[in-house]
Amino acid sequence: SPAMSRAPGPPDGGWGWVVVFGAFISIGFAYAFPKGIAIFFKEIQDFFGTSYSEIAWVSSIMLATTYGAGPISSILVNRYGSRPVVIFGGLLCGIGMVSAAFCTSILQLYICAGFITGFGLALNLQPSVIIIGKYFLKRRPIANGLAMAGSPVMLCTLAPLNQFLFDNFGWRGSFLILGAILLNCCVAGALFRPIGASTASVKTQVTEEGKGALKEEVTKDAVEMSSPMDVPIETKMQEEGGKDCCEKINQYLDFSLFKHRGFLIYLIGNVLMFLGFFAPIVFLAPYAKHIGIDEYSAAFLLSILAIVDMIARPTTGIIANSKWVRPRIQYFFSFSIAFNGACHLLCPLASGYMGLVIYSIFFGLAFGMVCAMLFETLMDLVGAARFTSAVGLVTIAECCTILLGPPIGGTLIDTFGDYKYMFIKCGAVMVLAGTFLFIMNYYNYRVLAKEEKERKAKEEDPKSVRTANEGRNNWNKETIQDGPELEPLREEQEGLKKEVNGT
Amino acid sequence: MQPGLNESSPEPMTTTQTVNSQTQGSTSHHLTLGHNISTPGPDLPTQEFKQGTKENVSNVTSVEYEVLLPGVSGNTMEKNITLDRATGIELSCRLDNKYSHLKSLQVTWKKGNETIRYINKTESSWSIQLRILDNSMLGSYSCTLKGKEEIGAMFHLQVPKIEGREKPIVSYEGDTAVMMCKSFGYTPIAWTWYKTNGSEQIAINDSLLADKYVINRISANVTHLKILKLTKEDDGVYWCEAAFELGKSKGKLKLKVLSLMVPLKPFLAIVAEVVILVTIVFLYEMYSKKKEKCAEDEKEFDQIEQLKSEESNGLENSSARHRKTS
Repeated sequence: SPAMSRAPGPPDGGWGWVVVFGAFISIGFAYAFPKGIAIFFKEIQDFFGTSYSEIAWVSSIMLATTYGAGPISSILVNRYGSRPVVIFGGLLCGIGMVSAAFCTSILQLYICAGFITGFGLALNLQPSVIIIGKYFLKRRPIANGLAMAGSPVMLCTLAPLNQFLFDNFGWRGSFLILGAILLNCCVAGALFRPIGASTASVKTQVTEEGKGALKEEVTKDAVEMSSPMDVPIETKMQEEGGKDCCEKINQYLDFSLFKHRGFLIYLIGNVLMFLGFFAPIVFLAPYAKHIGIDEYSAAFLLSILAIVDMIARPTTGIIANSKWVRPRIQYFFSFSIAFNGACHLLCPLASGYMGLVIYSIFFGLAFGMVCAMLFETLMDLVGAARFTSAVGLVTIAECCTILLGPPIGGTLIDTFGDYKYMFIKCGAVMVLAGTFLFIMNYYNYRVLAKEEKERKAKEEDPKSVRTANEGRNNWNKETIQDGPELEPLREEQEGLKKEVNGT
Repeated sequence: MQPGLNESSPEPMTTTQTVNSQTQGSTSHHLTLGHNISTPGPDLPTQEFKQGTKENVSNVTSVEYEVLLPGVSGNTMEKNITLDRATGIELSCRLDNKYSHLKSLQVTWKKGNETIRYINKTESSWSIQLRILDNSMLGSYSCTLKGKEEIGAMFHLQVPKIEGREKPIVSYEGDTAVMMCKSFGYTPIAWTWYKTNGSEQIAINDSLLADKYVINRISANVTHLKILKLTKEDDGVYWCEAAFELGKSKGKLKLKVLSLMVPLKPFLAIVAEVVILVTIVFLYEMYSKKKEKCAEDEKEFDQIEQLKSEESNGLENSSARHRKTS
């Protein structure tokens, strides 16, 4: 028989950096675009004769769809892989904006610019984040930090670009051209070369074993790459083991994640955090104007924020990748959330323009830190294989609080006539979220350490060697030195199956 | 009694002159703006100040404006006052206390070149009272104190300004354009829209051309002009004019009508760029895959050779090696 080649782990470089660049573009558009089109709202509002809040719904619908369509995105990636999904997403964005250019009513605008474009952006965002997990392991935090830096860079580019387009082409022409610009997401998608051969043989056996979710994701983790070939293998499994409805749904969207401790911790913490995450950005400029700063200086505060954000994200990625921080990356994440909250709590104390500049700098830093590690920590908890489904489930849960955050802040401002209560609310929520994550992750790390000890004890048994792997959170051992072979050989497969069935 | 405008040379006013108040039964609100305007210099931000109470039968409001004169000579303080309706107004110039030692002061109030006769004098301020009833009474009123140095202040009485749009509104042929004018704080009696044709301004009659122009008064201070079925001829400068009791005020807007080809060119250029880049990426991928495949074929060939030589050792050995590597 031909010689076995050791399963190649994630490249951690090479073409991976090109993928990071593609993800940079994709993620940048997904986050920056809803904010960037706010420049056109005044004109559109006059054109259709509606109120500002009716127009602002376009942005909200776009953002809601981008987050809410997460699970659909995950299902599609599970089935087809990242590349086709992103290319299709790019096309959808383009079509959405081009059709928005010809809209004759505000409702059509909601559908075209809001819903269709938002859906296209969702099909861009999730696969980009997912494919980073497939290409990187050792250097994943850096890759994540660099890719997430796309958001502030795109925002800084889109804002003046949109203004230029608007001055020269009006809002209809601008939407047309923006549709073309969004098609560049297809280019980013083309760069997302699928990676990994079939790894399903071992996976199949483990699921047949019916071992706990822990083991399952450990092996899936070791496999590290989900491939489009999952589908034929799953059907094969069904032939052998009989149809299981849950398994079938799980192949598309892994709902068993809700039994996963780390995932639940992340979910609760993040959903709580997003209540106070975006509101301060939305209200920073109005707050500055409220305390007497002129419009341009207020806008400049946001620029400072974006620039600090831009630098903070890759830097955080590098720090998170260092050998001291990476094993404890959850603590670092909790710390940055709490730090963010502390900034907001201290903001009302800032007096005058210099105070707000200092606040903007620290806010930009904290915001960048949190964003850079947002998906990295989830990958760290559930592993790259289940990340596809995890990210979809997380984004749809976050969708609600993201949309609720600014309106709640706005209501607080209107009720009390003072911005400080909004800052206090955001700060308190985030400090609470950070503390919660810190404590729960401490507990989680301890439980994982205990489980690892138990598994090490089992390692005496040679049969388990093949399927057993080191603890997920011990990233040193996560590399595929101990992983199973990738090239499926008929004989090996049968032999393993027999042994596993025997235990 | 109207203050008389004296055409003769200014009469020197002694500091002891007093004149009776002329407005009947007006309750004036005294505004001391001294602390606001103590910085000298003609380039003051125009403060639109308005305060008054409606009272007597003639339905005229009354306001008072005062300027505190600094001691620095040569600088003229300026104040812009916006009036939209008939008002009784009192303008006064007050000298800062520190300069009360200055004797022999001549105070002159002028409108343009004409001197105003009746001046109220108090301890350290000189004022005139005016009834502004029509457009001709608006303008610039100045008070000049001539002593050793000349100190002065200028009051500009104006109708409210209307803001148009500096940047042109861009629209497309066949589309609708909406142009908006807003009056800040003051409600005009009527709005009129004009289009500049060559050097003339032609009023837009929306009842005559109802399927082309629609003029809407959205709120008291806001007017919309909607132009339907745009053509190239609609390109140009438009004026929105607000009519107030005391006069009219205009705002300028520019409309640019483009054909659909204009944004289409950059659109097609970007689409072409995307298609080219995607093609390049896929071609490169196929090329590098071919290279890999060639390399792999070579590798496999080597491996087969190797295994043929290993066959003497038997299959077991290789399997054992495989097991070890897992």
